[in-house]
This record gives sequence, C-alpha cells and structure tokens, in this order.
Amino acid sequence: MSKKIMVIDDDPAVVEYLTTLFEDNGYETCSAKDALEGIDVARQEKPDLITLDLEMPGEWGPRFYRKLTEDPALKNIPVVVISGLSGHQYAINKAVASISKPFDRDELLQVVKENIL
Amino acid sequence: MAEDLLFIEPDENLSAALSVYIRRQQFDVRTASAAEAAEASLSKQIPDIVLANPSLPDYDGTRFLLDFKSKHAETPLILLTEPGDLESAMEGFGAKADDYLQKPVKSIALDISLQHARQHLRLTRKFFRYARQLEDLHEAHNLYHQLFDEVPCYISVQDRQFRLTATNRLFKRDFGNEVGDFCYKIYKHRDTPCPECPVAKTFADGKRHQAEEVVTSRYGRQYNVMTWTAPLMDEHGEISQVMEMATNITQVRRLQDHLTSLGLMLGSMSHGVKGMMTALDGGVYQLETGIRNGDAERIQNSYERIADTSSRIRKMVLDILYYAKSRGMQYQTTDAARLAKSLADAGSEMAEKQGLAFHNGIDPDTGEFEVDPDWFYQAVLNFLENAVDACVMDSDKSGHRIDFTVAPQDADAVELEIADNGIGMDEEARRKMFTLFFSSKGSKGTGLGLYIANQIIGQHGGGIEVESVYGEGTRVKIRVPRHRTAAARAVDSLLSPHTDSEDGKKDSN
Repeated sequence: MSKKIMVIDDDPAVVEYLTTLFEDNGYETCSAKDALEGIDVARQEKPDLITLDLEMPGEWGPRFYRKLTEDPALKNIPVVVISGLSGHQYAINKAVASISKPFDRDELLQVVKENIL
Repeated sequence: MAEDLLFIEPDENLSAALSVYIRRQQFDVRTASAAEAAEASLSKQIPDIVLANPSLPDYDGTRFLLDFKSKHAETPLILLTEPGDLESAMEGFGAKADDYLQKPVKSIALDISLQHARQHLRLTRKFFRYARQLEDLHEAHNLYHQLFDEVPCYISVQDRQFRLTATNRLFKRDFGNEVGDFCYKIYKHRDTPCPECPVAKTFADGKRHQAEEVVTSRYGRQYNVMTWTAPLMDEHGEISQVMEMATNITQVRRLQDHLTSLGLMLGSMSHGVKGMMTALDGGVYQLETGIRNGDAERIQNSYERIADTSSRIRKMVLDILYYAKSRGMQYQTTDAARLAKSLADAGSEMAEKQGLAFHNGIDPDTGEFEVDPDWFYQAVLNFLENAVDACVMDSDKSGHRIDFTVAPQDADAVELEIADNGIGMDEEARRKMFTLFFSSKGSKGTGLGLYIANQIIGQHGGGIEVESVYGEGTRVKIRVPRHRTAAARAVDSLLSPHTDSEDGKKDSN
C-alpha cells in the first residue's frame, strides 16, 4: 500500500503543486488549508507524513504542531516544514526537516523519502 | 623705545650741538640741513617727530613742511625759528605746527616741547590702536551678526523664563518675529514649559545639551528639529542666557520613515513573493509533466495556475511600485458608469472563478466625476478582490454573493457600494484594515492593498465607510466628490513629491 502525505498550506496553488508532485511520485495525498482543518483531516486520514506551512490565517503552523503532538494517535507523524518565512527552521524544533519556498523538487522528494514512516 | 626724530636745520653747528642734547633725552636723531636732504631722509622712513627750522636754503621751508604735515598729520611738528621769525611762522603754520620754539632755544623749553611731542605721539598711537581695534570689533560684530542670521538653523537666545531675547532670520521666517515671547509657546504652542527642556538643563549645569523635538511653525507646519544648547555667560562668568540652535531635519526624517517602511515592506513582501514563486513552480511543473505525458487536462490546469499566479505577481509589483514611488494623480473627467462597468466585469470574472454570485446595479445616469481612472480603478478593484476573498474564506455558509452598486449620491458626489456575505471582520480587523502591512489573508496578503486603496480614495477627496460583522459579511461605501475640493488638492500636493508644493518653494528660498 502506498504511503499517504498530508499537505497543509493556505495557498491552493501550492497545495495543488505539492499534491500533484507527490501523486506523480507514487504517494497518496490529502490536504488542508489551515491548521484547524488540518487536525481533523489528520485524524481521519492518518497520513504517514505532513508538510506544513507556517504562516496561515487563523492558526499558525507551530500551534498546529503542538496540537498534533498532544494527540497520541498523531504525535509520531513526521512533519516537514515548507515555508517562505525566514528563520522557519527555528519555528518547530522537532520537525524532521525545514525547507524554504520556493523549494527544489528533488530535495523535497529526497527528504520525504528519508523520513516517511 | 626711543622715538625717531628728524632734525632739519641749515646751521650745521647748531644742529650738531642740539642733536647731542636731544639724543641724551632718549631720541634717535637724524639730521638734514636742507629740504633736499630732508626729502631723502623722509623717503627712507617717516620719523616719529619732526623738529624743523622753516628757513631753508634750497626751498620754501614753510611749504615743504606744510606739505609733509598734510600727508602725516599724526607726526608732531616742532618749529625752531630764527630770532624774530616766530610770529610769521605762527601766521604761516597756525595750528598745523604742534609747538613753536625760537632761537636761541633754552634747553628747558626744548625739553618741554619734546616731552609734549612724545606724549602727544604716544596718545596718538594709542588712539589709532583703539580706533583700529574698534573697527575690527565692528567688523567682527557684523560678521557674527551675519553668521547668526545666515546660519541655516533656527537660533534663539533665551533667558531663565524661556523668553526669547534674540532670534535669527530663519527663526523669524518660520516662527515669527516674537522676541519677548516664550520659547514653548512659539515652538510648541504650549502654555507651560516643555518637560525635558534642554535649555533648562543647560541653565542648571552649564553644559551643552541635545534633544530631538517636533515643533510647529507659525503656518502650522510640523518640523523635526535636532536641538543643541549652549550657555552664554555674563561678565561675572554666570550663565545669564542660553543659546538654542535647532537644525531642521524634517527631510531626513521623512526619508528615514520612507526607507524604514520600504525595508519593512520588502521584509513582509519577500514571504509573499516566495509563496508566489512556489505557486509558479507548481504551474511550471504541471505544464512540464502535462506535456511529457500528453495530459491535456493537466496542461489546461497549468495554464490557469500560471495565469492566476502571474496576475497576483503583477498586482503585488504594482502595489510595491505605487508605494515606492508615489506618482502624482492624473485627474480626468470620467464617466462613472463606464468606469464602474469595467470594474464590474473584472469583479464578476473573479467571482465566477470561485463560484460566487456577482450582482451589479450600476445607474447608467450616474454622471461624470473627476478621478485618475487608473488609480481609482485599482483602488476599487482592491475592495472587490477583498469581497471575493472574504467569501472564499467563509466556509460556514453557502450561497455567497457580492453586490456592486454605483449611483449618484447627489449633485456633488458619486457613491459606490461593495457588499458581500463573506466571513466579515471583527472589530479589531475593521479598525486596522487600512493600516500598512496589516493583513488577515496569510501568505496571500501583503498588507498593502487596502492601505493604498485608502490613500487613493483620500487623494480624490473621497471617504470610505465600512460596516462589517464577523461571520455575516462586509459592506463598503465609497463616496467620491465629482469635483476635486481645494482640500483634496492640498493633500495631493503634500503627498506627491513631483508637484510643486508650497514646501518645495519655501525650501528653495
């Protein structure tokens, strides 16, 4: 069974890009446009990896991460931060990787491959 | 110092004898026995004192000596006449000679006369020295006064009560000729002394102090000034007054503010730019893989993605350009309904893409108004885009719609209204919505759009009213006068550095 990646980003264009890219590389995907929706989708879909944008309306990426780790069923899902904010690598310490927008496709796919459960 | 004395006497024996006597009185003596020799001696150096017999063998002695005296009035002239010539000499010289002696000369008379000449000489020299000093002083005074007036700073001198006792030209130009009034009243239009006054500190400790202040000129214009103070001492070394020098740094501050916000903008913008570049990458990726796999749907999708992203980038760049370099408005009499129609077209296209209903109610007889069509279009488009975004962000209800109405408000104004039943704003968002760099749109917002829209409507002399309820929707009313008011013109001239503002004229003086 193929692995599932969840994409959280408030920009639908970026969500579409990431899901297309992952699907093209043999992954299943699901997505959420903000942190609030993200938790629900994660509970439902049980993804194997999450990519997370930091700055979104409503709730910030770091808060989403805290909520995620408070849920025993979700807390072990690896999170890859993909953000345009400078200093994003410090925002979530336990993220398995931090990637800057705009990103290099091969680098992202490599990081995903290495970290997916 | 021994005075240099020229002794003109044809009788060489007498001359030699008297010279010895005079030298003993501490004079350097030169002698000449005739006008020709005297002339030669004078041409070498002008003596301090001339002792002369006017009866000369080779020339009219009276004429020769009067001629000399007319050129060198300050040199004492003592006449030593032949016996019986005294009266005629007095007639000939009058007051031009300083003293008269007659042969045979008594030593005491010669002594007294030489003493007088010496005293006279010293007094004269002192007098000339003082006169010169006075002249220098006068010149220096003028120079300082000129400096005081011409220095490109506001200078004032104040007493302990902060009363102005002297002000320079620039001060008078911008703050009036109000000597005797209080500094805080003139500079800050206050009734009491300012806290942290540098002048008060200098009175207290005698040191120089510095402060940055905002002052208001007599024309109501605000200036940022950098102020330095220095104590002025009286003859007892006590601080009697304090001088305050204020340099106008308004231009520098303005530039600094502009640069600061530009820097701030670039910082906040770079995040948005990165997001857009990522979206553009996505479009390119889809195009690339779509072509490779012959997937027409994916190619179509990538085209839409790229077109959408490029229009977002275009809008952001335009916003940045507007902010970075505010151009002057180019007003034209414009048909309001026609401009509204093109706005409605753009709005309904945006709405359609998101599956929203767009209704417009444009009164074709709205009439004309005086606007800059390009900027006005941009400003209103911003509100339409926001209405669309507000509907898209609202996931709690369906059946979203946007209503765009344009109608004449009265003979003097046109009213545009944009209403949506989207997510709405809470009180805080509504208060901050026109603030620079405020955005509730996450990575999509730059915080520039409404700030600029508000500025543009303001420059048109118009007003914006916003009603919004969180979860229910937003109604924006834009009221624009048909003709630009004098106030709008004034605002325009202040905002636009390219037009010849009053400020510019004043500064070029």
